[in-house]
Amino acid sequence: MFRERPIVLTAYVVCTIMALLAVTPFFWVLMTALKSNPEINAWPPHVFPIQPTLEHFHRILGEENFLRYILNSLIIALSSMTAILFTSSLAGFIFAKYKFPGRGVLFAIILATAIIPLEVYIIPLYLMVFGVKMMNSYLSLVFPFVIMTFGVFFMRQVIMSIPDELLEAARIDGANEFWIYVRVVLALSKSGLMALGVFAFSEAWANFIWPLVVVTTKDMYTTELGLATYQRQFYIEYGPISAGAVISIMPMLIVFALLRRHIMKGIATSGLRG
Amino acid sequence: MIPKKHVPDLIRDGNRFSDKIMREQESVRGNLAARFQEFRDSIKRDHLLWVLIALGPVFALFCIIRVYPILETIRLSFYRYHPTQRNRPFIGFDNYWRLLEDEAFRTALINTLQFCVMAVIITLVLAFAIAVLLRSIEKVAPVYELLLYIPVVTPWVPASVIWKWIFDPVHGILNYGLTSVGLPKLAWLQDEHVILYAIVLVSVWKMLGYFVVVYGVGLRNIPDELLEASELDGATPWQRLIYVVIPMMKPIILFTVIIATIIFFNVFAPVYVLTASAQGAPAYDFKVVIGEIYQNAFVFYRMGYAGAQSVVLLLFVLTLVFIQFTLFREKR
Repeated sequence: MFRERPIVLTAYVVCTIMALLAVTPFFWVLMTALKSNPEINAWPPHVFPIQPTLEHFHRILGEENFLRYILNSLIIALSSMTAILFTSSLAGFIFAKYKFPGRGVLFAIILATAIIPLEVYIIPLYLMVFGVKMMNSYLSLVFPFVIMTFGVFFMRQVIMSIPDELLEAARIDGANEFWIYVRVVLALSKSGLMALGVFAFSEAWANFIWPLVVVTTKDMYTTELGLATYQRQFYIEYGPISAGAVISIMPMLIVFALLRRHIMKGIATSGLRG
Repeated sequence: MIPKKHVPDLIRDGNRFSDKIMREQESVRGNLAARFQEFRDSIKRDHLLWVLIALGPVFALFCIIRVYPILETIRLSFYRYHPTQRNRPFIGFDNYWRLLEDEAFRTALINTLQFCVMAVIITLVLAFAIAVLLRSIEKVAPVYELLLYIPVVTPWVPASVIWKWIFDPVHGILNYGLTSVGLPKLAWLQDEHVILYAIVLVSVWKMLGYFVVVYGVGLRNIPDELLEASELDGATPWQRLIYVVIPMMKPIILFTVIIATIIFFNVFAPVYVLTASAQGAPAYDFKVVIGEIYQNAFVFYRMGYAGAQSVVLLLFVLTLVFIQFTLFREKR
């Protein structure tokens, strides 16, 4: 965009500084997690642990049962992702490729809820779960995350780009509509599904307020809730807290590292937020 | 080639025409039969049964999980509602009148707005500057975008936990940095005036990368010819930025302002992690809107009152969306 020398130079300097600032906190928490307690509280602080130790990880995984929290988060995020991929692609397919009375109105109703954050209507959601006595269950933890307004909109865009002729050809070959959905539509929107899947997974994984509200027993804690509760109880013990932070960031970083291309493409096409 | 979708219309028109003839010549019963036949045809032709089976359940889920709770929140706000008490009287606008006198909610609203304005402006200005600069070093830009995006994929809770340690008043690295350049230590999370900036700092750090990438997409879509033409006309880089780049980016800037405002207005997890807790962790009790809703609804079980607070939040979001729509319409 700008090829002037000083601008290019400024770009390198500024962007490098910002990128370093973005990743330094991760580096620092990892170093803290590997230090022994006296080293953590040393003043002046030093960067690298002199005697690296895994005691904090032992404590957080062994005594605090963080593995269970991670498992819970995984179960919730994966079921939410599966449900959202299914509901979004199905509804997106119908809205993209069929004409039926009331189509515009139904789509408008779904879209109207897109921008309204979960926090606005969390009380009735809670009362529903409370009313059927489903607190502390996977079902209630996943329940608000089985649909995604944005997902429907996104998949509709993706599926609209599939040519009608392909669907028509499948029909002539005797395929019914469900078969077309599975074998033509889903097969042809793989990269869109991938981007939406990553997004849905991270949304469900990172959500904090819903587990905070519907979970009261420790065995149903998610990683987020476990970490937040732990750091409130043991706010002095930065070693285990840092280890917990490192552990709870890992899964998202792995997902991001593996699928970064899909994530970036998702943002590029639609402003998906990871 | 005749567009396919017109063919059924022609057939339908033909049917209507024959209906007319039939009405003149035959009995009413025949007319009904023809209409029924037409209806059955349209079910088959447009796959209406499949549409119903496929869309019905998904739409029902939307009604149960989105539409009903939103409407129910509004209804609750007119009641005194405790989940375990039978007596839930309708009290009209009483919750809203109480809201006006609620010191804590007013503080929360002011705090949230202050935080929101600061976080939105700093994040977006920084993100725009970085995105523009990255376009000058296009070849290595993806690497920078990737690094800046790591905080975005980090959930709010661990992100805030990391910063809590950095903000630590005694052992924190930030205060070490301050003292090493001769400045006094700051009580980042304990001083009621400083904690706002601490939360802004965490939030900007967390969301910056997302907006850099969004702006990057928009900037890449600006045709090179435009910039080259203005360059040939002797426009300085600054002029090109003001008169070419920013006008072209207006819709995207508007979109990001709305999105960022909604994201930051809903700030809760970092506040929950970084501020005072029931266990007496040493920090200032910084109040925000979502925190108040959470407290009232799920700590004190004043669901009707919290409902009224949620409606305030809802109105705020709807106002933003309305602003966005009107501004977008003016463009066209």
